[in-house]
Amino acid sequence: MSITLDQVTKQYGGVPVVNDVSLDIGDGEFFVLLGPSGSGKSTLLRAIAGLTGVDHGRISLHGRDVTHVTARKRGVGLVFQNYALFRHMTVAENIEFALRVRHVRGKARRQRRQELLRLVALEGMDERLPAQLSGGQQQRVAVARALAHKPGVLLLDEPFGALDAKIREELRRTIREVQRELGITTVLVTHDQDEAFAMADRIGIMNLGRLLEVGAPHDLYSRPATRFVATFLGAANLLLARRTADGIQVGGTTIAAADRAPAANEHEVVAVVRPEEVELAPARATLTSNYLAGGVVDEVVFTGALEKLRVRLDAAAQTPLLAHSDADGAAVELLQVTRTQHEQRGFAVAPGQNVAVGVRRVHVLPTPLSSFTACAASAQLAQELSHEPLLAELAARMKTRITTRTEARLGVAEALSEAADFVGTTVIASQTDCAHRAEWLLRRGARDLLVLPAGARAPHRVLIHWMGEAARSATLAMSASVLRHVPAEAVYVGIFPGQRAGSSGPRGMRELLDARSEAQAAHGLEMRTELRFGDVAEELARRLAEAPAQMLIVGITDLTRFAERFRKLLDGGQWPVLIVHRGAP
Amino acid sequence: MSFRQASVLPGFGLTFGFTTFFLSAMVLLPLAAMVLAAGSMHWHEFVHVVFSTRALDSYRLSFGASFLAAAINLVFGFIIAWTLVRYEFPGRKLIDALIDMPFAMPTAVSGIALTTVFAQSGWIGRFLEPLGIKVAYTWLGVTLALTLISMPFTVRAVQPALLEVQHDLEDAAETLGAGRFYVFRRIILPTVLPALLTGFTLSFARAVGEYGSVIFIAGNLPMKTEITPLLIVIHLEQFDYQGAAALGFVMLVMSFTVLFAINLLQAWGRRRQLRAANS
Repeated sequence: MSITLDQVTKQYGGVPVVNDVSLDIGDGEFFVLLGPSGSGKSTLLRAIAGLTGVDHGRISLHGRDVTHVTARKRGVGLVFQNYALFRHMTVAENIEFALRVRHVRGKARRQRRQELLRLVALEGMDERLPAQLSGGQQQRVAVARALAHKPGVLLLDEPFGALDAKIREELRRTIREVQRELGITTVLVTHDQDEAFAMADRIGIMNLGRLLEVGAPHDLYSRPATRFVATFLGAANLLLARRTADGIQVGGTTIAAADRAPAANEHEVVAVVRPEEVELAPARATLTSNYLAGGVVDEVVFTGALEKLRVRLDAAAQTPLLAHSDADGAAVELLQVTRTQHEQRGFAVAPGQNVAVGVRRVHVLPTPLSSFTACAASAQLAQELSHEPLLAELAARMKTRITTRTEARLGVAEALSEAADFVGTTVIASQTDCAHRAEWLLRRGARDLLVLPAGARAPHRVLIHWMGEAARSATLAMSASVLRHVPAEAVYVGIFPGQRAGSSGPRGMRELLDARSEAQAAHGLEMRTELRFGDVAEELARRLAEAPAQMLIVGITDLTRFAERFRKLLDGGQWPVLIVHRGAP
Repeated sequence: MSFRQASVLPGFGLTFGFTTFFLSAMVLLPLAAMVLAAGSMHWHEFVHVVFSTRALDSYRLSFGASFLAAAINLVFGFIIAWTLVRYEFPGRKLIDALIDMPFAMPTAVSGIALTTVFAQSGWIGRFLEPLGIKVAYTWLGVTLALTLISMPFTVRAVQPALLEVQHDLEDAAETLGAGRFYVFRRIILPTVLPALLTGFTLSFARAVGEYGSVIFIAGNLPMKTEITPLLIVIHLEQFDYQGAAALGFVMLVMSFTVLFAINLLQAWGRRRQLRAANS
């Protein structure tokens, strides 16, 4: 491995900018770190270069641990967005800078300079000053300069940001050619997905300081695991669908899902439909794909090769379309569609026209968090609960919706037997007899339950714990899903009964390590681990009281004496608790 | 030359007229009057006043101390500017504002304050006394006063230039293997050198012309701590206008020579860059 990052964390003022990032980049690989601005990708690149220290974790280059080695001694080449050429030096002096520092003799220096100038196609420009070159040429000089001392790793920080489209393309090709010719391991940071697709062997997508997913461009595009990646990498329509025994039920039809995960029981899922997988036809009968719903064309934009449309689905459609935000950040509940010239010729549409909408391919996200249901004893309370800042923030970040549900007889024992169907994650307000109400809801079939204190804010730390191995996977998946949307650190709290009994030690450690590696492998979640001794609910409550802005995610399998056991944790608690219940209701 | 050139301000003719008028009325005419006054002296008389031992000693002190003050400011002014530009610390804005204090204070006040502190019984002077260092009433005091009142010029000249040295340049140099001193010498210094020279020139010019603050701390012993402007005032007090004008003329010529030389140096530096660029 050329570059190995192990749980790298960098904080500014207590807020993690790079949050537990672990990554291996192979020899000669062209790796692209892709993310929106502020996602921590540039900070991570600077950490690899040694220009920014890390608070936690290790960085190795070619098997050498360089975590505490200065940038000077790391032997990396770095290219900046604004070129960062030395303006008072000629092209030749710029390129030879690293060699002069190393006291390389004149002749060898000149030879290397000629070699590099040929590599970046700037022969004969030796005596020019940077100010006399175009932006593209300056960046070529910067690339040559970064390669002069034969670094083991080339790092590019948004190198095309300041260039216009045509030069950008040309320079992309040059850099890719140089990289292939030298076989140098390269990391490129960008916010431009076209750039990432065009250049990368593998892409790593960052958001809120976390490395969400890593994979080949095609895999990430066709099978994203998170909503963020689905919507950031190309356009995507997110739909709330149901996973049934037969497949994925979207709108009027059931489609066999691309992934054939067995559905244990019916539940709500988030489905991704790419705009190019949508088919429009005059009527349902003429569709060649699965019928989704009827709709009205809202907008048609001609962009050359493709036509971009927005279609408003009929209100009667059984599939709720999750709002996505458009370029201005406004929420839009319209289906995005792109059609080729060929499709346009087959069926021309105009705004206002009624169409039948079909989908060719649906991808289901593995996330367990589909939508939220604010649940309270009266409609007004439920409405208020749905406006809680943390809930609203989570829903906005997850691009999902909050519905309300009135349970007039919430907590009344006689009402327990009434049939109920809980969709998504149920949310209740934290209050005095909270544990009792939580048990009531869980017994009636709520699978995921968020207990929310009034005015709770986004947590800085999420504590994770589960009781019973059957809940482990689900708890980890839920934790990973939550942590993708809040910039918080994840801590697994292992708790063992009694005082520091020596006997449970080794077994406990083993469990802890297993949990960590499963979280990492299956959910891409990096977490810290802590070990405590005592009664579970008591210890968790104590741990939560230790610091502000914490949240708990706890997995349970068994509801026996639930209210009694969790009273300390839930009744009047000042922290949000997410209960993941897997097992018989 | 055409007087029709596009510009935001109306009429090149009008603005050019104002420029020449103001320069003439405020600078050139008084200077000419002074030269005329000096010129009306007899040649022999002129030489006697201008090359008297007392005058020569005053030139040495005035220009020597000014040069020294400007040189001190070159180093410490740069450090102050660097601190203010590069670091974020509580009270930074306050210190930034304090820099301009010598601009705003009547120079006599600065002189009195310095004398109070550095006199033999002053706060600092009393500790220097046992070491055999006398500041007040010596050339050291003169240099100190000139350093104080000319310091803002260097700081304010260098600050904007330092702001332009991007962090990226230093980062780039560091990843290429350069140590701190190398980065300073090869990257930062060349970038701010023109600004440093300008700061030096301004400080020097200000120091040469200074009068108010120096007369309090200098003690004004003839041939020891007497600066040329003071000598001029002494001539004036004796109603020897011609003698004062003669000394003024010498200062004018010397100051102009120094400033012109520094300007040439800067122009040469710029040309060298351009030549490197065009070859």
